[in-house]
Amino acid sequence: MNAVIQSNAFEAKQRERNMNTKGTKGAIRIEKVDKVYDPEGAAVKAVDTCSLDIGAGEICMIVGPSGCGKTTLLNAIAGFHSISNGTIYLDDELLCGPDKPKAEPGPDRVVVFQNGALFPWKTNLENVAFGPIMQGTMSKKEAFEKARDMMASAGLNGSENSYPGETSSGVRRRVEIVRALMNDPKVLLLDEPYRALDSLTKSVMHEALLDIYYKNKVTIFFITHDLEEAIFLGHKVVIMTTRPCRPKKILDVDIPHPRDYNVLTSKRFRELMDETMEAVHEEAMKAFERGEKEG
Amino acid sequence: MTNPTTTVLAAGSELNEERIVALLKRTAPFEPLSDQRLREVASIATPVYLKKGDLIYTVDERSDDVYVIATGTVEHALGPSAQATQLVKIVGEADVIGWAALLKNKPARLAKTTCLQDCEVLRINGQHLIEILAHDEASGREVMTCFAKMLMNEFTVPAWLSQVQELPRKVKVGADGLETANLTGVSLTMFRIAQWLKSPRPYLMLLGFTIFIGLWYLLSEGWHVWRFDRLPGPVEVWEEWTSRNPVYGISLFTPEYYTHIWYSVRRIAEAFFLATLLGVPFGLFLGWSRKFREYTFPIFETLRPIPILAWVPLAILMFSGTETPVIFLTTLASFFATALNTMLGVESIDESYPRAASCLGASKWQVFRHVVIPGALPHMFTGLQISVGVAWFSLVAAEMVSGQYGLGYLIMTSYTMVSYPTIIIGMATLGIVGYITSAMVRIAGDQMMQWRVRELALGGSQ
Repeated sequence: MNAVIQSNAFEAKQRERNMNTKGTKGAIRIEKVDKVYDPEGAAVKAVDTCSLDIGAGEICMIVGPSGCGKTTLLNAIAGFHSISNGTIYLDDELLCGPDKPKAEPGPDRVVVFQNGALFPWKTNLENVAFGPIMQGTMSKKEAFEKARDMMASAGLNGSENSYPGETSSGVRRRVEIVRALMNDPKVLLLDEPYRALDSLTKSVMHEALLDIYYKNKVTIFFITHDLEEAIFLGHKVVIMTTRPCRPKKILDVDIPHPRDYNVLTSKRFRELMDETMEAVHEEAMKAFERGEKEG
Repeated sequence: MTNPTTTVLAAGSELNEERIVALLKRTAPFEPLSDQRLREVASIATPVYLKKGDLIYTVDERSDDVYVIATGTVEHALGPSAQATQLVKIVGEADVIGWAALLKNKPARLAKTTCLQDCEVLRINGQHLIEILAHDEASGREVMTCFAKMLMNEFTVPAWLSQVQELPRKVKVGADGLETANLTGVSLTMFRIAQWLKSPRPYLMLLGFTIFIGLWYLLSEGWHVWRFDRLPGPVEVWEEWTSRNPVYGISLFTPEYYTHIWYSVRRIAEAFFLATLLGVPFGLFLGWSRKFREYTFPIFETLRPIPILAWVPLAILMFSGTETPVIFLTTLASFFATALNTMLGVESIDESYPRAASCLGASKWQVFRHVVIPGALPHMFTGLQISVGVAWFSLVAAEMVSGQYGLGYLIMTSYTMVSYPTIIIGMATLGIVGYITSAMVRIAGDQMMQWRVRELALGGSQ
């Protein structure tokens, strides 16, 4: 058992070393972004003069009531939707702005979807190798080799040749995150990825995500409506107003990384929870009264 | 990542190496190992002390370790997904649990294990264990075989689940060695057939046929019920069908019978091929391009409900001869079914899939090739099965109107020639051949969508 403790200490040291050097790429700057759906008709304002700075290699958690427009913001960064006003930069390069309302989707900003989007007709390994093969940056053989290595280092060996439909939901989520990381993205965009998981699987997934983060140091833009999850994972927690969406409160979580589950019971964690709970609750009540639908 | 269960285990030192080796010596799977190997195994074993009621592991956890019980008793309760002969059992001293760690695909834990008393347990990492066993070809193999046998005794069905990991080196399998074959198509089919024969389904099916033919017999030949007395009875039809000298000229022994079948099958094949060749791309574009759809879908939907028989005069006007009009009519009906279902297939694809693909750097054409086509396949094959059925339907109609040879033609001429049993022979043949073609499409679909077959075989988790 002593050996186990030692190796844990060693891992912790390594993590710490990794933590001291945050990533250097993937800073997102959102400036006064508006998004109006159906401007000539119903003119629903989903995002209203939203400005937000996310540092390179930062885990930024976006918390807000259901249907508040946080996914709209994510879709704008990913390049699935256009924006009506404002600009979004990635590492000082323009993603979308007044002259270019819709960004091009690309492998530098990979999305992990709410309900999972592993292709069910490809094996887990083929899914992971998909990006580089499509972009033509690797030969099939190289891509499969790298995919196998990455899956192994995420503890996913054994499920390479299964189809996603044959694997558990927790494994599927991890495979999807590895598939994203295969492309060396600057930013990972996670849209409530753990929403459909049971709470036990979820807690394992949080540790797995942090583990992956400590190894890759990629910027993470993580949407959730679970405040506990947000404070546990994030460097920064952004609480959004109900629709139209805009930051209501930005919280810097000063609990040092690497974190593990002991954080949840720490005093500081509880303090931060208390500090933010009210803001979240207030917005949730507003949304509830307006009868927002899930989404 | 640390296994969450390890937090409940406390370290202990009372289990020294000698006791561990002695313990391993008594366990069934490790018995064949030499003392030196046992000592190596002992060196990677971590003794843990557990209190009454502690969990060692539970269902769906990752399986990394094998456990050997040194003292105390443990309840081993299989989860709902395991198909086992015995759901709950009590294991005790020198028993080994947690074999999943040695299996090929490292499945998640199938059972929940709870200490019934204070226990001493050895935890052995499965991967390390396999590495040690790999050094020792002969006895290592024996240990793995022993594991496999124990698994086979325990679980009723999934032989594929109990495949132990192959030792990394090529080891010769002894005569008594267990075959750990992969789950191939053939063994899967055999397994399914065996399951089918065990279920009541085939017997109910036989009973259904018996009642149907019995009723037919009683109505026609038995009681000569009014109106049914004109219907040829099953005995008469059977005698005609299997006669070497058929009264009306058509039976299993006349070459003419096969000429008719051959003509119909060939027409179906041609029409189905044409309809698929045209219908699948058309359907894909209907689903993929909104503009294309706005141009063509209204026309498509106006033409689709027109019954095939209404096309007959036009077909005869436009195409000369007897063959082309028949093919045209059959193709037309199949085309609509294939195209419509393919379009629905494209529409059914969750929008996250193309989005994910473009996120990963796929071009528009790559999205089409790698997401739209495979995503539409399940619906497409439903369409193709309908299309074969519709093809037979319209083929017979077309053959009745024009054409020479073919089963539809046979039925119609038998009517005019007053050879009534031949009508039934033609109809029954149509039923059988139609069933076979439809089954062939289904099998082709299963071949192309292994992912779906495997997902469904596991009960479909999505």
